[in-house]
Amino acid sequence: MAVNLSLWSLKAGDRCEILGYDDALAEKYKIRLMEFGFHPGECVICLQSPSFGAPKVYQVSNTVFSLDDEVATHVSVRLSAANE
Amino acid sequence: MSRIILIGSPNSGKSLLFNRLTGLSQKVANFPGITVDVGSGKLQALPHKVLVDFPGTYSLQAISAEEEVAVDYFERALEDPEVEQVLCVIDATRLEKSLLFTLQVIRDCERNGKKITVLANMMDVLENHGLSLDVEGLSAALHTRVLPISARSGKGIAEVIDELAAPLDEPREPRAHLVDTPDVILRGEAHKLAHRYGPEGDVLVRSQNRLDSFFLHSFTGGISFFLIMYLLFQSIFTMAAPVMDAVEGSLALMANALVPLLGNQIVKDFTSDALFGGIGAFLVFVPQIFVLTFVIGLLEDSGYMARAALICHKPLRLFGLTGKSFIPMLSGVACAIPAIYAARAIDSPRKRLLTYIAIPLMPCSARLPVYTLLIAAFIPAGTAFGGLVGWQGLAMFGIYFFGMTMGLLVTGLISRISKDRYTDVPFVLELPPYRLPGLKPIVRNAWNRSKHFVTKAGKIIFTVTVLIWVLGYFPNYGADLGQSWLGHLGHVIEPVFSPLGLDWRYGVAIFTSFAAREVFVGTLGTIFGIEGADDNLVPLVEHIQGSDLALGSGLALLVFFAISLQCVSTLAILAKESASRSLTLKMFLGYFSLAYVAALLVYQVTGLIVG
Repeated sequence: MAVNLSLWSLKAGDRCEILGYDDALAEKYKIRLMEFGFHPGECVICLQSPSFGAPKVYQVSNTVFSLDDEVATHVSVRLSAANE
Repeated sequence: MSRIILIGSPNSGKSLLFNRLTGLSQKVANFPGITVDVGSGKLQALPHKVLVDFPGTYSLQAISAEEEVAVDYFERALEDPEVEQVLCVIDATRLEKSLLFTLQVIRDCERNGKKITVLANMMDVLENHGLSLDVEGLSAALHTRVLPISARSGKGIAEVIDELAAPLDEPREPRAHLVDTPDVILRGEAHKLAHRYGPEGDVLVRSQNRLDSFFLHSFTGGISFFLIMYLLFQSIFTMAAPVMDAVEGSLALMANALVPLLGNQIVKDFTSDALFGGIGAFLVFVPQIFVLTFVIGLLEDSGYMARAALICHKPLRLFGLTGKSFIPMLSGVACAIPAIYAARAIDSPRKRLLTYIAIPLMPCSARLPVYTLLIAAFIPAGTAFGGLVGWQGLAMFGIYFFGMTMGLLVTGLISRISKDRYTDVPFVLELPPYRLPGLKPIVRNAWNRSKHFVTKAGKIIFTVTVLIWVLGYFPNYGADLGQSWLGHLGHVIEPVFSPLGLDWRYGVAIFTSFAAREVFVGTLGTIFGIEGADDNLVPLVEHIQGSDLALGSGLALLVFFAISLQCVSTLAILAKESASRSLTLKMFLGYFSLAYVAALLVYQVTGLIVG
């Protein structure tokens, strides 16, 4: 069964599908994330999850981005079947 | 002269292409009020055309005031009849990231009837990994010519020149389907096109991730981070120090050769102390600025800088800063001037401002002679714990730690009380692939930054240095500093410093240290009649120890210098970089007041303890 989480809760190696953004994230930031490729429906892989709460590293399409919890907690995702 | 706009998203290799097309003949100008460079240079192959290098941006839909200025500037440039065409650079290895921006640029060019050519850069990287890009398909889908190139190897550059040399098409009606498309449709379009025409697979990301597993690992990442930062810091001293000495030596040599040839004593003194002293006051910083900009350029180009920002982000966020603040703050331990330049890399205007505020509290090298003098004069030379801990060393560590802690506390406090005052951008950082840096553009950038410092800040620093010289020289022609205008000024300001147990002589030394902190030592030497105090502190230390200056006053001076923004060079460059004289003035007054109150507190508390 698919599990709904936030992007921030992923561990290194986890794959997920973006479901959307919550309302707490400002509209302009949502747009910027979508410009970077974080569209609803897009597959994202968590590449690195460094210790001590440091920003995590995500792959979307062929590009790698680092997001901190202030942003990533507002992106809702569904873990892909491969992780379950 | 016709102009060509070069535009592209960050990390698309735009600067390398600019340098290749113009032969590194870049002229850099700032947007008014923001810290983004617009470079321009004549095309080497077509010298009657000028290439204008716009700052890299991810989108024409701005999310900060700064981006808005850059986007407005681009849109106004498109309306300029002298602008004949646009070159839009995309990173062929990461197509989706670049395509939305490209579609927006194509739309704006269509609206303004400007020709646009898309340059798919980094084709060599794709080929090296056995990947490809459907250039023809992409070109057809974009309704725009797409040229595959490699700015690094030069492949495809001849075709770019041919395209730029070709006569422009006759003006035609804009194509409605391109002109009217809203951003929301373009986003979906970019996504679709990237999947259809972009390289298949993620082999590049996987090789990047292997290195990230090392550089971002809790243990190996931490070790490598400290090692790299140590080397960065060392490079400022080991590479810049000999050149700084050479600059000082050369100026002294020139002064010694020139001054005896001059007849009038005032002219002699002016040339020797004010002219050469004034020029030396800012030229001596140039090697540091060059070396630091060069090393930071290497880190940026190699892709490591983004990783360093990521590692430092969490602890610095507690104080309202960002991971990108770390390098400027670390640089500030050597010198605040290159540190302020380094803060340009911070994309959030709010966090850049907070970084500006933190930098002057980093214990820069100019404070070292002051600390050394005061610690030697007031802290006993003994050791504790079986010789393991020296009191003077501990005091030096303590005052360095105090400065850094104050920097973080002040930014933390200002961040909390000014939460909504400046535009912020979220921490979404693109991690570019690891690359071997190209040396030429980095050297050119370091050179431009050094030149900017000399031409912009140099005038202010020189003027202030000359002014202080005039005050100290007249009306008795340098015979007695105590009887000069500066001496009189010292008596006037004495009531300000007397609550700290300091008389007019220390007031004068504090005033002259506004030119540069280390001048404090030389001025005290002059006032006390001790020759060469700059080079040999011992007689000055003994003189202070023999005077009736209290321990509390010595500690108060230490704390005062740790906080006060006593550096005209820093203020000059801060005003230029922040484009805000009001901020600079507020910072100067704010740090002076804070330094004074903290010093007073230390003086009073020490008095209560020691008696």
